[in-house]
Amino acid sequence: MSHEVPEEVITVDVPGHPPSSPVPPSNPWLGRERLAGFSLVAFGLFALWAGSDLPFMTEGGVGSGLLPRALAIIIMLLGVAQIIVTWNEVPESTGTWPVRDMLPVLIGVFLFAFTIRGYDFGAFSVPVLGMSVATPLSIIFAGAAAKDVRFGELLIFAAILTAVCIGLFRFALGLSLPVAPWLIGY
Amino acid sequence: MIETIEHLGLGLSVAFTLQNVFFCFLGCLIGTLVGVLPGVGPVATISILLPVTLSLDPTGALIMLAGIYYGAQYGGSTTAILVNIPGEATAVVTAIDGHEMAKKGQAGLALGLAAIGSFIAGTFATIVIAALATPMTKLGLLFGPAEYFSLMIMGLVLAVVLAHGSLTKALAMIVAGVLLSCVGADMETGRERMTFGLHMLTDGIEFVALAMGIFGFGEIFKNLADPEKRDVMRGKIGRLLPTFGELRHNLGAIARGTGLGSVLGVLPGNGAILAPFASYALEKRISDRPQDFGKGVPQAVAGPESANNAGAQTSFIPLLTLGLPPNAVMALMVGAMMIQGIVPGPQVIENSPDLFWGLVASMWIGNLMLVVINLPLIGVWVKLLKVPYRLLFPAIVAFCCIGLFSISNDPAQVMMAGVLGLLGFALYKLQFEAAPLALGFVLGRLLEEKLRQALIISDGSMTTFLTSPLSLGLLLVGAVALTIAVLPSIRRSRDEIFVED
Repeated sequence: MSHEVPEEVITVDVPGHPPSSPVPPSNPWLGRERLAGFSLVAFGLFALWAGSDLPFMTEGGVGSGLLPRALAIIIMLLGVAQIIVTWNEVPESTGTWPVRDMLPVLIGVFLFAFTIRGYDFGAFSVPVLGMSVATPLSIIFAGAAAKDVRFGELLIFAAILTAVCIGLFRFALGLSLPVAPWLIGY
Repeated sequence: MIETIEHLGLGLSVAFTLQNVFFCFLGCLIGTLVGVLPGVGPVATISILLPVTLSLDPTGALIMLAGIYYGAQYGGSTTAILVNIPGEATAVVTAIDGHEMAKKGQAGLALGLAAIGSFIAGTFATIVIAALATPMTKLGLLFGPAEYFSLMIMGLVLAVVLAHGSLTKALAMIVAGVLLSCVGADMETGRERMTFGLHMLTDGIEFVALAMGIFGFGEIFKNLADPEKRDVMRGKIGRLLPTFGELRHNLGAIARGTGLGSVLGVLPGNGAILAPFASYALEKRISDRPQDFGKGVPQAVAGPESANNAGAQTSFIPLLTLGLPPNAVMALMVGAMMIQGIVPGPQVIENSPDLFWGLVASMWIGNLMLVVINLPLIGVWVKLLKVPYRLLFPAIVAFCCIGLFSISNDPAQVMMAGVLGLLGFALYKLQFEAAPLALGFVLGRLLEEKLRQALIISDGSMTTFLTSPLSLGLLLVGAVALTIAVLPSIRRSRDEIFVED
């Protein structure tokens, strides 16, 4: 039962995360640790505001606002602690936040959500387009986010993967996902 | 003892039906298939594959999910050994010596030892689960709301203590998770909390949306943002099955890893993740040639891999007996059980013994499957590793979208996961760990429920948590653990375990 595998050259194309040397931020308040503490304080304040309409205590016992408010205050305190504890550390930059590179992925995800079962925007509405449209849309838009994107390859890949997904989820697994109601009625 | 054997017998009779063996096989196969993909850890794998189990009966679905979990674990180790990319935290240790062995042309041996070690560990852990299940369940039935609350607090504290990096940050993540779980309708009054009038938040944030957002989309955002780097391995895979001599040299490491993993796996939070690190440190300490560690020592693969698998399996114990998931993967299992209409807790073993023991027995079958299918299929996994990332991540996006939509037929979940992906990216950038967040989120709802129940029983008196001896004891354990963890000397040695490489 010896399974000899012939000589293989494995090249994997995957983003690595090499430990890069720390870069100081442009402003000490933008250093990672301090920013983390600051974000916690901001998050706690936001939660306090979001839950400000909830009763703290009721006659029957704990009100629905007790736990959220207590947790929000704890988070703010932890944020302050984080800022104090890391105050004397040399601040490190968080690096780039390339939101524009991620945008195509988000657009793909939202387009999937809008088209899979239709969506009513008020002014206009998207009909139920089903998996046959939603899946390739999400693949193509997401794929466009890659720096080394090849559109011909991506289109073919999207078509094949859509077919596989429809076959797998709708037919093999019997989930009630709309496929293409505008074309074949389901 | 006799009882345990009887229970396992019942389990085997359930798990060995043709249908359930097939589900187990399929779960292992597709779990490995997705788990082998670089950058896709077990949490993401299970989230992506969760919808696949929706149309099955509860027993089949859980058996398949357990198979997916082991497959994902083993797939991650394969990637770690072959290309030095640990898909998840538990494979980090395997990557150190495993990849060095691969460079020396011993990739096959590393993979074979990992598989055999995992199988032995899995067999032992299955027996541990079967033996502990009944007493633990009985203990669970003794727990009232106050004891449950204190147990969860202790668990969350231990999770913080066992987390990597900053204690403050880990604590903040747990609290944030609990806070996020408060969003949605109040379970007692039905009053909407922090929903901003958004319809999609009325029922609260779905755990699957959170998991896929942070662990699925967030991971993709992270990979897109950081510069790409190619990792190349050249050389032969080599012989897969170890000789008897090689096996004998590694049996000690496998046994020690199994023991460590079985104990640490039960701990909440990073317990199962800590196991391979602890095993590596132990093997290095008792080795005759510690200086060789890091240069491709088989024991440094066999031990941690066994520990990893044993821990992965015993982390089912708190979930199955007490209904408390100790980590993010088990939290997903809770989600899957809820979808199937099963509320995890001590009553499961009583109400559906078929399901319970079938699942336990299928763990062993799953481990056997890993050896039987994964070793011969290694060539397939190698091919899979060659799929370029530019095609891989759009496929993951599509699978996540379909999965999220199919769980509740609600497009809003897809959008929510997309937005949560950005949160996951921000957490990565600020070096917050997402795993404690997920754990806090899952335990959050249960925590509040038990808190309120306890306070109703005690007429609003907070002292109820201190007057029950069991509850007081649990809280004390948590307090002691936290105190010890903040002591400077302990902090230093805790950090050392994680930088062993």
